[in-house]
Amino acid sequence: MTTLHHDAPDAPEPVDVDDPRLSRFEIVKEGLRRDEIELVTYESQFQGTNSKAEKRVVRNIALLFIIAGLAAFAFLGFYIFWPWRFELGHTMGDYFTPLLGITLGISLFAIGFAILAWAKKLLPHEVSIQARHDGASPTDEQKITGQTMVFVGDELNQGVQRRPLLKGAIGFGLAPIGLVAAAPLIGGLIENPHKADQPDLFTTGFSPVKNGGNLVRLTRDDGTPIRPEDVSTGGQMTVFPGVPHGATNEYADSPTLLIHLRADDAEETRNNAAADRRNAGSMWGNYVAYSKICTHAGCPASLYEQQTNRLLCPCHQSQFLITRNAQPIFGPATRRLPMLPLGVDEEGYFVATSDFKDTVGPDFWERP
Amino acid sequence: MKRRTGKADLQQAPVTFAKGVDERFQASTPLRALLNKVFPDHWSFLLGEIALFSFIILLLTGVFLTLFFDPSMTETAYQGAYPALRGTEMSQAYASSLHLSFEVRGGLFMRQMHHWAALLFMAAIVVHMARIFFTGAYRKPREINWVIGMALFLLGFLAGFTGYSLPDDGLSGTGLRIASAIMLSIPVVGTWVSASIFGGEFPGHLIIGRFYIAHVLLIPGGLLALISVHLGLVFKQKHTQWPGPMRTNTNVVGERMFPRYALKQGGFFMAVFGTVALLAGLFQINPIWLFGPYRAAEVSSASQPDWYVMFMDGLVRLMPNWQIYIGDYSIPPLFWPAVVGLGFFTTAPMAWPWLEARKTGDKRIHNLLERPRDNPERTGIGAMAFTFFIVATISGANDVIADKFHISLNAMTWGGRIGLIVLPALAYYLSVRICLGLQQHDREVLAHGVETGIIRRLPNGQFVEVHQPLGPVDDHGHPLPLEYGGWVVPKKMNRVGALGPAVKGFFYPVEKPSEAPVSPGMPPVSGDTREEITSGRK
Amino acid sequence: MTSDTPARRRLRVFSRRRGVPSRARRRLGAAVRMLAALALAGGVYTAFAPGAFADEPKQLSATAQEGKQLYDNSCISCHGRDGQGVEDRGPSLIGVGSASVEFQVGTGRMPMTRQEAQAEQKKPQFDKNQVKQLGQYIQELGGGPQLPAGELVENLEDNPEAIARGGELFRVNCTSCHGFGGGGGALSSGKFAPALHDATPEEMYAAMLSGPQNMPVFGDNQLTPEEKREIITYITLQLQEDKDPGGLFNLGRYGPSTEGVAIFLVGITLLVFTSLWIAGKS
Repeated sequence: MTTLHHDAPDAPEPVDVDDPRLSRFEIVKEGLRRDEIELVTYESQFQGTNSKAEKRVVRNIALLFIIAGLAAFAFLGFYIFWPWRFELGHTMGDYFTPLLGITLGISLFAIGFAILAWAKKLLPHEVSIQARHDGASPTDEQKITGQTMVFVGDELNQGVQRRPLLKGAIGFGLAPIGLVAAAPLIGGLIENPHKADQPDLFTTGFSPVKNGGNLVRLTRDDGTPIRPEDVSTGGQMTVFPGVPHGATNEYADSPTLLIHLRADDAEETRNNAAADRRNAGSMWGNYVAYSKICTHAGCPASLYEQQTNRLLCPCHQSQFLITRNAQPIFGPATRRLPMLPLGVDEEGYFVATSDFKDTVGPDFWERP
Repeated sequence: MKRRTGKADLQQAPVTFAKGVDERFQASTPLRALLNKVFPDHWSFLLGEIALFSFIILLLTGVFLTLFFDPSMTETAYQGAYPALRGTEMSQAYASSLHLSFEVRGGLFMRQMHHWAALLFMAAIVVHMARIFFTGAYRKPREINWVIGMALFLLGFLAGFTGYSLPDDGLSGTGLRIASAIMLSIPVVGTWVSASIFGGEFPGHLIIGRFYIAHVLLIPGGLLALISVHLGLVFKQKHTQWPGPMRTNTNVVGERMFPRYALKQGGFFMAVFGTVALLAGLFQINPIWLFGPYRAAEVSSASQPDWYVMFMDGLVRLMPNWQIYIGDYSIPPLFWPAVVGLGFFTTAPMAWPWLEARKTGDKRIHNLLERPRDNPERTGIGAMAFTFFIVATISGANDVIADKFHISLNAMTWGGRIGLIVLPALAYYLSVRICLGLQQHDREVLAHGVETGIIRRLPNGQFVEVHQPLGPVDDHGHPLPLEYGGWVVPKKMNRVGALGPAVKGFFYPVEKPSEAPVSPGMPPVSGDTREEITSGRK
Repeated sequence: MTSDTPARRRLRVFSRRRGVPSRARRRLGAAVRMLAALALAGGVYTAFAPGAFADEPKQLSATAQEGKQLYDNSCISCHGRDGQGVEDRGPSLIGVGSASVEFQVGTGRMPMTRQEAQAEQKKPQFDKNQVKQLGQYIQELGGGPQLPAGELVENLEDNPEAIARGGELFRVNCTSCHGFGGGGGALSSGKFAPALHDATPEEMYAAMLSGPQNMPVFGDNQLTPEEKREIITYITLQLQEDKDPGGLFNLGRYGPSTEGVAIFLVGITLLVFTSLWIAGKS
């Protein structure tokens, strides 16, 4: 910063900072000059010292600081002494968090406004102008740096060109090192979605294959099996595969909605299902079961409207018509909800006679 | 005597210390340059600071939360203080979030501060971005900072999403499920991407741990790095400023960094912190204890993401059910809004500064801002983009709006679909017309003066309104036409010094508007600092 | 939009008489079953019905007599004589039980002021006693689910796990429509699940039993009376009576949508005004 580019006509002359007669402000101004700043306005905001207005401002700022302190003490007091444990109902503890927020908020705001008022009202009003230096560096600088970079390139390049062995060796050496960096990421992170030993994309917990060939019962979330009379007419029940951990997130694709339709709706549903190659014969009596997992984004499409026979997904508002094979009739879903083939075993409990015949869950590229 | 020397030494100590520092680091000159650096002052320049300060609050509160949070998906039976979940099977992550909320003194308050600060961070980014766009602050030489700003939004988006997924509650689990569906929707590699990120089939046992490290290390690291570069560039390139008296393309008019500007920043930080504290105390946010642990079979009506993700969710909701079949394969409709849409809308705007420069052929350096009205084309495009964003965001909550305002849900969806196409075009047209109208009015005032409201009757019976000229007049008393200076033109008598401003201090920059001359070329109309101002002009 | 316009749905909802008899049939006594057979005989039925009742004196209790009075004044125009229903206007009430009456009339949903997508809750037209009388009348007409006697909210001192079990059942069965916070939610084409903020235990129990409007039925086989009480315990003690610990305002517990509004209306607004003051002249 020793060289100056200040070319303004009224630029102040440099001063000798070692001159003992200089005031501190004059030294500061010399600094400003060196930083190409011109202090255009610098004046007290008050007329004279100790003016009435000044006293008022000082009083207000002091008050703000005191409020900040009081609020901070209040915060500490509430934090230490106020009952804070959660209890059911309307208790004093419910006000713990609000009291902390209000006291801390007031305290911080008061500090903030005290500082701001100080900066705005007490400090001298100032307008400074500083010169910018935009654009490129001086052309000679550009040229020198550019040439230096090219020269560096040449140095390296000549070295390689004159020594072809090096060229090959560098290529051979560096490429595998790059791969080494990528290998753990690929090797460790990449999972094959089509691996056979994990619950894969195309089956659910209702698959008898995974249950040792036995049909899988439909169960409630506590694992108890379900009899037909357990579901009221016009009612629905969320059911899970009756396998170990069937109601947990291990079987995130398996939750199913078991619906007991009214006779006439069931008739319509049955007719529509019969006309469909996959869904034919999947109902049991007036009962129908659809996958609860929306074919759009995987939310449970479980808002069952028992009069209009629609299933609504609360995430993106796809609507499926129960009586028409759960075809989507509104919203972004394109694919119907898969139907679970229902049966009743000899003990009178619902079973899935096979897995879902369509793939459950959100769509993907290679879905059959 | 002894005492005295001791005192003198003590006084001398800071000087000695400072000299020691300078001998080692040569800090004097750069430090002085820092102390003296001049910053322009306008309320809209503080919007970005809100984001910066929110980020600091996020770091502070976030560190507190990590002391109690356990990012594990191991199942456990809850036995904590909250009775309505006692005995329920849940992941450690959820149990520790409940513990943090109910059994750590002040833990709930910290959690709520963290969440509110996150919402404020993203809100401030968007508002700040709007200011940058509509004033043309992104123009050369600041294009890179615009790009970094967009990247910060995207990173903030990811930080927010990973963050609210961590408690593993019913609502965030639903969001995670949608995220997995979005990954699945990617053509060809979708199932591989999902399986790799979740470590197998959704939800697996890894995702919370992976999101945790992303949320507390990788993404904040990226944010910190980008924020540093962002601020460094503002520092290096110096802040833009509005046109006005003394202000040129080659200077900065304002206050020195120390003490006034720094004090103001410190005070504003306290205000931002105070706002977050008030929000966290007064408004309950994300009551995870009501949501229960995540179960694939459970869902709530009104399931939405946080507001800054809502535009994407809105686009997903509005997307028609168009599936593309390619032989045995298909691309689900979810792919377009969620993957292509999100990617496009967060990265395409990065190219805007160059696109605009190419279209206008403007290669100059701009340090003076443009008022939105002075560039109707840009304002129109900005209004268009923001209208699109707002319609998409509102559609992301269309079920809540439908329910609370008794509108049909299906009508809301269709309204959104149509609105997404029609309203941006309308916003473009309207804002361009409004800009042109405002320009016209500015020019009228410059040519004829300010309307005084005084009606005079001429001898021939004609009524005319008396105008107060803003500048010098010719021999007949007609105002000489003035040139527009890119800054506020006084339009009321009380703006030209007849009366004080209606609301003191509000909506106006530090320079008294009543003192602002019509153009940099004209002398100020009034004001006691006139002498200083003119002397500073080059 | 889909083929359903609200107007058409309205007809569909209230012309649905097909479903109700099938449920009723199981529960009707022999006399009513005979009436149902007569009903199938066709149009002559209406002529015969009053006579049938006259011939076979069905002893209505005193309460039911009062209820019949109310019914004949306020309900008969849509639901027909003796609760038989009127085509395209109101469904049959045979077999809906007193639970349904107590819900529909007790919450003011019935009588409806006009035909609309969904009966709105409003100020009840009848007092508690009258609702009981009406309920008794409908009950004696055709049987059906009834509210049990006794306390519907579990006492947590005797049964501390009730609230957690209720919460679990609530999330499996109820939140998909009524929301995690019980704030209600939108259904297709203008229908909605109401908020539970001011629902009484009786109303909730009756709603689960009878499945009003588009709500599915949760019969006693599906959710046992105990489970129903647990759900009601959770809703009452946790969602209704518990003051939210996280703030003076809970933003309606609507989730991120109202939080997003708050961050702009409160957070950004407050800070923009602060920055205006900071950069302002005053």
